[in-house]
Amino acid sequence: MARRKTKSRSKSRSRIPLLLWLFTLFSGGGGVGGYLNPDWPIIGPIVTSLIHWRQENPDVALDGNLIRQAVNDEIHNATNAVVNQIRPNTNPYEQTSYGQNASIQNGQVVPAQYAAARGQNNSSQHSTNRRPIDKLLIATFNIQVFGKSKMAKPEVVDVLAKVVRHFDLVAIQEVRAQDDNILPDFIRAINADGSQYGFIIGPRIGRTSSTEQYVYVFDQTRVEYDPNAVGTMTDPSDMLHREPFVARFRARTGSPQHAFTFWMVNTHTDPDEVPQEVAALADAFEVMQRSRKDEDDVILLGDLNADETQMGRLGTIPAMGWVVRGAMTNTRKNKAYDNILFSTTTTREFTGRWGVFDIEKTFGLTRQQALAVSDHLPVWAEFSVWEAPTANRSVVPR
Amino acid sequence: MDAKQRIQTLLASSVSAERLEAAEQLCQMGQDASFVAAELVAACADDEEDVRASAVGALEELGPPPVSAIDSLIALATSNDPLAAYWAITLLGRAETNASGGAATLVDVLSNSSDGSARQRAAWALGKIGAKDSATIAALQQAAASGDPRLARIAQQSLTQ
Repeated sequence: MARRKTKSRSKSRSRIPLLLWLFTLFSGGGGVGGYLNPDWPIIGPIVTSLIHWRQENPDVALDGNLIRQAVNDEIHNATNAVVNQIRPNTNPYEQTSYGQNASIQNGQVVPAQYAAARGQNNSSQHSTNRRPIDKLLIATFNIQVFGKSKMAKPEVVDVLAKVVRHFDLVAIQEVRAQDDNILPDFIRAINADGSQYGFIIGPRIGRTSSTEQYVYVFDQTRVEYDPNAVGTMTDPSDMLHREPFVARFRARTGSPQHAFTFWMVNTHTDPDEVPQEVAALADAFEVMQRSRKDEDDVILLGDLNADETQMGRLGTIPAMGWVVRGAMTNTRKNKAYDNILFSTTTTREFTGRWGVFDIEKTFGLTRQQALAVSDHLPVWAEFSVWEAPTANRSVVPR
Repeated sequence: MDAKQRIQTLLASSVSAERLEAAEQLCQMGQDASFVAAELVAACADDEEDVRASAVGALEELGPPPVSAIDSLIALATSNDPLAAYWAITLLGRAETNASGGAATLVDVLSNSSDGSARQRAAWALGKIGAKDSATIAALQQAAASGDPRLARIAQQSLTQ
């Protein structure tokens, strides 16, 4: 796919975090003492190559440039390996691929946040028409224990469908069901008003028999995904309870080569290992930033079980920003678990608008009714549909 | 019968729909569901998938269990049901020093369980409860040398806590 990316990045700066991530992934906690282990899948070949080269060229000085070149070559290969390590999504319920979506419809432009504030919900009007045509509204929503029982409650499904229709793309966490019909049934409920949402779903993952699935639900008239860039990240050192589910999306516009493209990294941390998992997510974020030369927009979102003061190493990535500050994201409104993070220097498509979608206020629910939907509230952020050039400044104050 | 008693009764019901109703209510209660911490762990072994799922959902948000539940949780830590054992161990870890009486059981799980997730969680829980007796140290040292990188990492962290 031909597309233009005007952003660039220092090569030397980009490689170091990748190496650290791969080291984290494959080292098994071996520590510095085992740093040059030839058996490691990524760093190993570098060492092996150098050993072989040295054996074959005993008289040639092994200078810094040669070592650097060998490392660079292996890093290049490793970058490709990381992409290849993203397990392809083989779920039969993939609903869309490029070129299958309807064209973007013209219509009334009412930003979702305004509609929400007024409690508007005209079910006879396609949800697309209530959203700004030149912006993408991206949300994350942990739908607590989303399975057969919740889908059997029409009043809950009605609220969930209305929530989704306020957004162009929703990253969902906590689908917990052995029944494969949950998402197809949910999509039917969402599209009952004529909307054209589709979904992609990850595999069931978790340390115990109680597994979860990540899902992306998206308005096919507004965004499309690259079927060759969907999968679950690998985690050989088992740092994360639930490995992130990643997919690359593109805004649907009349000029695809100028459309905003981005990785989504859907995540749900283990509440008992938050510091360690948030640190591992920092590595995951950097790997995704460097997984393709033509893509540097990475949006990591989900239930981090961490508030803005608990971002750890994730929060120290240069220019890293997150939208939720000074707001609660759970239904009881006493915790800030959910967030949307991205580099503020690369993802300048962020318009500065974000919010926590208050389903009690929007739909006139009691606290108990809202809790029956989920113990989390959706968190959203707004992005331009057009790819922005890189500028060396932040759009979110840190 | 007050609301808590009613939920407790429903959770113990022989009717699966009633157990599900209780588990779903508890799922919406957050830390207020801790009065049935041990019962929720036991519900992880329920025959019904939805009951198990809601029980796990409730346990994730439960926070530390009350001290009154510790003995029951220690007993459940060696449950034949891996999910129930995993959550019993997790709650013992969350109880921190209040669960110090469970150290021997956790060492047993760490050393002898056939379930890798239970062993990993036991290593984590021993660190959280701050057990420093010789049996705990020996078990953690052995686990730190394990071929399971996650178990080894967690055990090492617990040794240094």
